[in-house]
Amino acid sequence: MVPQSWVLVFTAALFGLGLWGSLRATNAVRILMGIELMLNAINVNLVAFNRYLADQAGQGQVFALFVMTIAAAEAAVGLAIFVSLARSYKGINVDKINILKW
Amino acid sequence: MAVALHFLPELIVLAAALLVALLDLWLERSRQVLHWIALAGIALGLASLAPLALRGPAGAEALPVWAELWRTDGFALFFKALFLVSTGLVLLADRRFVEERRLPAGELYAMLLFATLGMIMMASSHNLMVIYIGLELVGITGYALSGLDKSDPRSSEAALKYFLLGAVSSSILLFGLSLVYGLTGSLTLEGIGRVFTVPEGGVGLAGMAVLLLLVGFGFKIAAVPFHMWVPDTYQGSPTPVTAFLSVGPKAAGFAALLSLFVTGLPQATSFWRPLLAGVAVLTMTLGNLAALSQTNLKRLMGYSSISHTGYVLAGLAVATPYGFRAMLFYLAAYAFVNLAAFAIIIAVGTQRQAHELADYRGLGQQNTFMAVALTIFFLSLIGIPPTAGFFGKLYLFGAAIEQGYVGLALVMVLNGVLSVPYYYAVIKEMFMGSPEPSAPPVTWPWGVEAAVIAGLVVALGLGLGSDPLLRAATAVVNAL
Repeated sequence: MVPQSWVLVFTAALFGLGLWGSLRATNAVRILMGIELMLNAINVNLVAFNRYLADQAGQGQVFALFVMTIAAAEAAVGLAIFVSLARSYKGINVDKINILKW
Repeated sequence: MAVALHFLPELIVLAAALLVALLDLWLERSRQVLHWIALAGIALGLASLAPLALRGPAGAEALPVWAELWRTDGFALFFKALFLVSTGLVLLADRRFVEERRLPAGELYAMLLFATLGMIMMASSHNLMVIYIGLELVGITGYALSGLDKSDPRSSEAALKYFLLGAVSSSILLFGLSLVYGLTGSLTLEGIGRVFTVPEGGVGLAGMAVLLLLVGFGFKIAAVPFHMWVPDTYQGSPTPVTAFLSVGPKAAGFAALLSLFVTGLPQATSFWRPLLAGVAVLTMTLGNLAALSQTNLKRLMGYSSISHTGYVLAGLAVATPYGFRAMLFYLAAYAFVNLAAFAIIIAVGTQRQAHELADYRGLGQQNTFMAVALTIFFLSLIGIPPTAGFFGKLYLFGAAIEQGYVGLALVMVLNGVLSVPYYYAVIKEMFMGSPEPSAPPVTWPWGVEAAVIAGLVVALGLGLGSDPLLRAATAVVNAL
């Protein structure tokens, strides 16, 4: 079996990549992609921990399923917000969406 | 049947939400029916708490199979009642606003009810997965609610900022939760509480997990330095949504934070306590300082709500039963007073779009009762006797002193003084200025009046006799 520390390093790197991407990007869809990467890192974490803990109830796997479902709902609402924004601002560059002071 | 009793408030609110969403398709003309269904759902949900409340704090024992997943103890009932009442107050105050601004009423009411469902779920859940689902139900409906006014670009912008920061922060929170699961092998709070410790110095995965949880919850409850979304989202959202966001999701975040940290991470108290105290001091002070220079009332209330988050966090940082009791008292008093103040802001903002301080000029001449009521709410938010807010701050102060946190107590007092000028600026506009002749007159629907009177009863009633709520909070904390 792959050592647990490898998995932890991998998910931390994946999560960090997603966080860095979501903080640096100016296009809202790219930010959403960064968030999805972070959620993927979490799912790998949950499933891997479930395996290493030999959790018979499979709590980690079930949690990962719920995370996926919620991520889909979140993306749906997020994209709807982007569409509504694109109508009034002619684009979804977050640096240019600034009627309200940041 | 006995089991269903423990889920009855959730089932009722869910049924009302689905009914509103469904009927919205047919009832295009008579949107008032939807409003009544939503209000009835909240009222029935509140009534369904009664049988459990009468059973006493031992209500949890009736659910042996679910004991580590779902609790209906005093803690859960206290927060469920608080959430249902606060959504009820928002619903009471918002009808005229929704009609005038042509907001999609069915969607607004259905999503308010779904968000309430998430909040009352969080109050009961003792399992990380259920807490997370509740949190996201509140979060996702919140993003949609703040962008509800599609004709107003500011509303979409508010939704964008809330959504992006909210989604990033719940990912951070979730990463922390996954680490906690990996470290303890359990998703139930009791199971985690038996095992979870942070080694000396706070290094390693356990310390990391607590930090990630703090960052995630910091966004949800709007604590500094994770508060950037608050002023913009509060200013841009439709005013009833702002009122809802300033109380409901924030109190729900505190409920989850309290049960997670007190039941799940008690062995790490010495690690998270100084962190929370630091965040509390920063949140109070920066919230108040930023509020001083605001001229838009919704933005001002945003910064004011940030500073109140700091006070409540101070109660958690003290981490004694006295601190938790003060925290519950403060949250309940804040919820009523803030929502009643928002009812007035909603009424004034129905005809006038801007929510600038100048819109409140001369309100004292036009409607003395409302101007005096808003003054009393602001006095309670500052913490001047004889109002509920005074006792809230007093109990927090006492809890901090009792635990030897003199510095924290001093910061609280100084912040009380610091918050006077910006509330006073509004009061001055209301009573000193004379109304501008061009401004349209403000109308006062009965719903707003009802919410304001409820707020007055709580603000002054608790100010004159704070015992009932304090006893309730003590019972809740003793059962924790």
